[in-house]
Amino acid sequence: MRVVLADDSVLLREGIARLLEEAGLEVVAQAGDAGDLLRKVNAHRPDVAVVDVRMPPTHTDEGLKAAAEIRERWPETGVLVLSQFVEEAYAVELLAGDAGGIGYLLKDRVADLERFVEAVRRVGQGGSALDPEVVARLLGRHRRDDPLAELTPRERDVLELMAEGRSNHAIAEGLVVTDRAVEKHVTSIFGKLGLPPTQDDHRRVLAVLTYLQA
Amino acid sequence: MNLRTQLWLLAALGVLLAALGSALLLSSDAREAPVWALASPFMMLSFIGVGLFAWWRRPHSGFGALMTAVGFVFFLSAPMASDTPALYGLGYVFSSLYLGTIVHMLLAFPEGRLDRARDRWIVGGVYALVLGANLVLLLLDGPLEDDSHPRNAYVLVHAPGVAKVALGVAEGLGVLLAGAVIATFVERWRAATAPERRSLGPVLWTGTGLILGVGLSVGLDLVGAGSTVALVPDLAALACLLALPYVFLLGLGRRRWFAAGAIGSLIQRLSAARRTGGVREALAEALGDPTLRLLYWLPRDQRYVDLEGRAVELPADGAGRGVTEVRAEGRRIAALVHDAALLDDPDLVQAAGAAAALALENERLGAELRARVEELEQSRAGIIAFGLAERRRFERDLHDGAQQRLVALGLQVGMARAKLRDDPSAAGELLDGAREELRQAQQELRELARGLHPAVLTERGLGAAVDGLVQRATVPVEIRCMPPERLPNAVETVAYFVLAEGLTNVAKYAGARHASVAVERVNGHAVVEVRDDGVGGADPAAGTGLRGLADRLAAVDGRLEILSPPGAGTVVRARIPCASS
Repeated sequence: MRVVLADDSVLLREGIARLLEEAGLEVVAQAGDAGDLLRKVNAHRPDVAVVDVRMPPTHTDEGLKAAAEIRERWPETGVLVLSQFVEEAYAVELLAGDAGGIGYLLKDRVADLERFVEAVRRVGQGGSALDPEVVARLLGRHRRDDPLAELTPRERDVLELMAEGRSNHAIAEGLVVTDRAVEKHVTSIFGKLGLPPTQDDHRRVLAVLTYLQA
Repeated sequence: MNLRTQLWLLAALGVLLAALGSALLLSSDAREAPVWALASPFMMLSFIGVGLFAWWRRPHSGFGALMTAVGFVFFLSAPMASDTPALYGLGYVFSSLYLGTIVHMLLAFPEGRLDRARDRWIVGGVYALVLGANLVLLLLDGPLEDDSHPRNAYVLVHAPGVAKVALGVAEGLGVLLAGAVIATFVERWRAATAPERRSLGPVLWTGTGLILGVGLSVGLDLVGAGSTVALVPDLAALACLLALPYVFLLGLGRRRWFAAGAIGSLIQRLSAARRTGGVREALAEALGDPTLRLLYWLPRDQRYVDLEGRAVELPADGAGRGVTEVRAEGRRIAALVHDAALLDDPDLVQAAGAAAALALENERLGAELRARVEELEQSRAGIIAFGLAERRRFERDLHDGAQQRLVALGLQVGMARAKLRDDPSAAGELLDGAREELRQAQQELRELARGLHPAVLTERGLGAAVDGLVQRATVPVEIRCMPPERLPNAVETVAYFVLAEGLTNVAKYAGARHASVAVERVNGHAVVEVRDDGVGGADPAAGTGLRGLADRLAAVDGRLEILSPPGAGTVVRARIPCASS
């Protein structure tokens, strides 16, 4: 899998590059700002771009804008956005598109190598990765007549992992249950929340996200 | 020869010529000679006397000179009384010249200058007409007067027909010019402010009567009305002419009388005025100038404010406004901004200001208070804005600094953990890197915390905190002076930030080789100073740092001063009120 990295901190960029290389991914280019990133994505057409939100020149949301542009111009390239903080609004903005291949994670997550590499791979393969903190905040929101209250604790766990963008298989591994059991939970959750069932992982994330946002 | 002597000489000359004129009249066998022998010197000396008086009182105005000139011009027609034809003709040519001089004088009132081109055209026209018409009649043997007169000694061509036509044309032009003069008077009256009207009025209206009378008389002659009908405007014009110098004197007197009354009623009004702004109304009414404005002096800020406490600039010279300062016990308390016409009467405005001084001082205190409130509100808004900017700066610093380092630290620990079993020495290296990241993150957090509020400042006081600042400075810094005792908390904090910001600027912009700091207690103030020998040219309006400082200072009633001439170093100095304990 081929990766382009963008972060204005050389130190961190090198660290992440080393980590991904050791995990067997190929970092084909690194960029220090959004313009540089777009040029390198255009040149290399990687499977995934890992992008910091704040970059020169304004140090505000260059990464988010660049992500949107990459999704539009090179839909086959996935974008994983890293940030020092996560906001639900940005998450919804990023994942709103129909197509998969998008992720939004706290920068701290790089410390958990395996999960981070898995998220990069998932986005590179057209899946989604949403930070557990965003999911927790969306789930923790208080609602009147909350259908989430009808979920069993196990179903809630499954919903959380599903919202993060994981496949049934990954969820099963994470919870140490069989794939069949996860499938049953998913069907039950969609039933209780009144969502139309779907097999596509990204569409599933989108449906859950839309539901949680409403 | 000084002005006074010159004026006396002119007066003597006037008396001499008047006597000469009378003698000429008395020796004449003209019918009304005895009457004119009295009236003519009276008129002449009236204009000369009052004219010289006005000249003496206001030597810079040309008006007195013009009025004097009218008197002397009367004399030029005196030879008309002679029975000698040559002299008679000479007098005849100049017999109407006084009309030109009077129109000149009236249009130039009160400054004695013709400022507008149109006025100059009118005056020039009248002069040309009154001289030209008489000359033509004389040369062409036209009808000179109804009365018997000596033989016309200057006939060039005998053409009474042509002369008659010329006379008609001249009379027509005369009526037009009289109309133009009266129109100008009306126009000036309408444009005049109340104080201007007070000084213009008598002269302007008498002048109108005069010109109207002359114009009508000429007009009646033009349409061929009998001389009996023309007698009415003739007499009216004569009355106005006789009255004109005295009316001018009356105007001067009226202003005196007005002034006395104005001050009397002002004092009454002031004792009745309790409302805010009542003083302005009372003064406006007393001086007859509704446009009058009051500005109050703030000695601390060295500037004027209005009643609301807002800063106000004095009007520029030539803006048509006069400014009169009001002082009490030698201190400046206020300024009256009034109609420039009132500058003719500086005594009146001064007296009114003096009468109102006490009430003005009261209002001044109110205005000062409002100015202070305004200032505090602004500084409060400034502090809030400054606080928000500071928060953004801290967020940015945290984000780019410590947070970034902690992410890298996590990354290195994660990678070390992954290598722990297979490659322990690589894991060790990663952990060394992690420890370095940790150290740097800690240092950045410490710096940031100190920027928020250095603990040593609260615990050990300004001296110790400044020691720390000086040690971290990028150039050698000398501490020139530091109070040994602790100052109030708020004073120490603001002083610390003045010094910190000052030294930061020295490091960033000054290009200095050496700097010094000082904190000194002077007259109930802590004077805090940062000096450097750098490039100077610091602009307090640019950059948030210095502006933020000014707001912080304003919150504790302090003042910031920046002296930074290009090329000569910078002094940042703050004065913070700090009573001795």
